[in-house]
Amino acid sequence: MNYVISGFLGLFFGFALNKAGLTKYNKIVNQFRFTDMAVLKFMMTALVVAMIGLYGLRGLGLVKFPAVPSTYIVGNLIGGLIFGIGMALTGY
Amino acid sequence: MNWIKQQISKELWSPYVAGILLGIVGILAVWLSNSLLGASGAFENIAGMIGKAVAPAAFNNTYFNYVMPPGITWGVILLVGVFFGGMLGAATSKTLKWGKKDAANSDSQWKRIFGKQTWKRWVLGFFGAILLEYAAGIAGGCTSGLAISGGMLLVPAAFLFIAGMFASGILTALIVYRKRY
Repeated sequence: MNYVISGFLGLFFGFALNKAGLTKYNKIVNQFRFTDMAVLKFMMTALVVAMIGLYGLRGLGLVKFPAVPSTYIVGNLIGGLIFGIGMALTGY
Repeated sequence: MNWIKQQISKELWSPYVAGILLGIVGILAVWLSNSLLGASGAFENIAGMIGKAVAPAAFNNTYFNYVMPPGITWGVILLVGVFFGGMLGAATSKTLKWGKKDAANSDSQWKRIFGKQTWKRWVLGFFGAILLEYAAGIAGGCTSGLAISGGMLLVPAAFLFIAGMFASGILTALIVYRKRY
């Protein structure tokens, strides 16, 4: 059952990414050139919607948060730095 | 109804609308199955499975035993869904180029910067993807697994990761594009 939900959510996830144009090289790299802000608009909208929804639902006692990604400052930063290089090169 | 059809067949939506859709997907993932969206972890799960079958000794370490246990996880199924979802998105806007000659490299901006050859794109994609997956392993997630899923739970790691990602992304784009930046 969990797998069915996962598959469906993935379907919508991929659909949203495609419709936002984030499956294209130029959208990703132009974000880093600041000539196309679609990536940030997309990410930040998703973040804000999900934050409001999740914290609202938790306030109502309907959800429990899963284990959150752990914070280890050096690792997160270095990982992010290497990730950025790959992202700007491939347009992932 | 016609309006909905028209909207679905549009190639590009406003990023705000697509973002709202992803936000809802993120909420449902936590609500319905207590999981976070992610892509890079699934690749590690699959890699672990292959590794354990091919070279069990080399893969018998803490990382593949406890941090990223191999197997068909929730994330792997999600990734399959993402693949078909993206395909569906392209199909609805008729941009799905099945088997066309330059389907693997149809980005005109990429061609202008790196050249026309498709093999260049494959090579750069391959090595860039190694960087991406390696970095995601260090940081504990990728754009979806850490930046978006972590960000929506207000995890500090997510914002550190986004900061790092943009810092080096801007620098890399600057180097690749130089005067054309």
